[in-house]
Amino acid sequence: MSLPTESSTVGTDTPWSELGSLMLPAYAETWAMVGIVMVLVIILGGTMGLALFNTDRRGIFPHAQSHATLSWIVNMGRSLPFLVLMAAIIPFTKWVTGTTIGIWAAVVPMTIAGIPFFARLVQNALNDLPKENLSVGLVTGGSPLQIIGATQIREALPALASAITLNTISMVEYSAIAGTIGAGGIGYLAVTYGYQRFDMNVMIATILALIVTVQIVQFLGDRIARALARP
Amino acid sequence: MIEIRQLHKHYDTAQGRVEVLKGIDLNVESGSITAVVGPSGAGKSTLSHCISLLEKPSSGQILVDGKDLSVLSGKALRAERRAIGTIFQNSALLRRMTVAENVALPLRNLGVIHHEMEHRVAELLARVGLADRANSYPGELSGGQRQRVGIARALALRPRLLLSDEATSGLDPESTAQILELLASLRTDLGLAIILITHEMDVVRHIADRVAQLDGGQIAEYGELRALVANPKSATGSKLLPLRPDLVPAGYDFALTVAYRGNHIDPSWISKLGSEHGATVALLGGSVEAHHEGTLGRVEIGVSGINKERVIEVLDGWGLHATAHSHALGSAAINYETRIEVKV
Repeated sequence: MSLPTESSTVGTDTPWSELGSLMLPAYAETWAMVGIVMVLVIILGGTMGLALFNTDRRGIFPHAQSHATLSWIVNMGRSLPFLVLMAAIIPFTKWVTGTTIGIWAAVVPMTIAGIPFFARLVQNALNDLPKENLSVGLVTGGSPLQIIGATQIREALPALASAITLNTISMVEYSAIAGTIGAGGIGYLAVTYGYQRFDMNVMIATILALIVTVQIVQFLGDRIARALARP
Repeated sequence: MIEIRQLHKHYDTAQGRVEVLKGIDLNVESGSITAVVGPSGAGKSTLSHCISLLEKPSSGQILVDGKDLSVLSGKALRAERRAIGTIFQNSALLRRMTVAENVALPLRNLGVIHHEMEHRVAELLARVGLADRANSYPGELSGGQRQRVGIARALALRPRLLLSDEATSGLDPESTAQILELLASLRTDLGLAIILITHEMDVVRHIADRVAQLDGGQIAEYGELRALVANPKSATGSKLLPLRPDLVPAGYDFALTVAYRGNHIDPSWISKLGSEHGATVALLGGSVEAHHEGTLGRVEIGVSGINKERVIEVLDGWGLHATAHSHALGSAAINYETRIEVKV
């Protein structure tokens, strides 16, 4: 039995004409992962960000201890590199999804990494609002939910759109990392074809796809944020 | 009628307890404007936050028509706080809402039905002269216009008390004048009780009926504006119409601080002192100006050629309240002081 030599592995580039059928399903998988993750992150991370802001001194329910605890949890979530986090929570991922490979297995660590990141972005967006907003909400007779809706979320929408943009781009990046454990998507293509088989064409196509994706997401995010801003 | 009774507020810090308000008593009648003045650190902001029910006092009461609002919390507080409208410094409008939406905010928070809300907002914007800017955003308005929107918002729930927290600071003189005119008309037309928290003595002089001087968390002086100004010994009065006693020249027998206390002062009283009583009078400084209830004036004069007690008596007969004071005339400091009690 002969081992593959370097010359036998080089030159297995997928022809350009076949790249489309390889790339498109993978690209769709990437967006499926990012889409599912972002929905969860916006709901859970957004709630956490609101909780961070509202337990702080300028919030509706200032409570130093709760704020410190939340902040500590968020910092912990943000301190692990994604690859380490992904490996560390494999038992949890398996318990939740019943598998450790595929899209759903990637969604779990991506969401867990995305929540604290988005929570901080939301907290920063709210911190940038005028500090009188809470007083306005209170003296106009607002309930906590009305205050959060009218004087926090609605007023911070342009900044929140930018936060979602930033978070989405991070998640595209994480999805590529998740590809290394067989999550699917273009990250998986890059690893299995580009890295393991030295398939230069797939590698180039993957890189181009990622660059174009990030540019488009950023462009759209900027446009939305600008449209939401008021004079 | 708004009564503030024995309002105390303290904060517990790592360095110990800090007492910011030490028993404030204040009555504000409907249809009158009470100004709360004082140096920074006197407790103005804390008092303002307590009155607008943003902070709970440590003890004491805030009674609106006999009902203590300071003990309420949660839903009851939200329902009752409509009795107090607050105008903020820099207007504090929500930037992503139109002018109409900002004014409608209190109505929406309390669940007023849409049709009624539209009607009320239109009425309020007309009241503050901004009916044509309903769909503008705050960023498109001038500072004075924004503050008028802030006033419309504060009026939305038909409050009994309007609290203005430094509402005109940072505005240009013309906008300030417009805001003051609006507040004065609200006092008269709606019979509102208005509390004006401010550091601007010009504002107080133009509009206030009563003045409370806050110092070190206590009310150091409180009374009708006209009475304070007409009392030459009032510290608040001298801040409202400042004099320049350092201008007293040598060559005069004594100096007098003369305060106007009547509405019909003969404007030629200085020359009459000379022509009818043979006095020589030097005008050393002063300020005389129109107020909505009459003339406010404090004037400092140097006098010679007439007996001091006599001139004070003469001035009293003309509705002027004179106090001789002890400023150095030439080199000799004369430590006498005379006071004529005002008979009302």
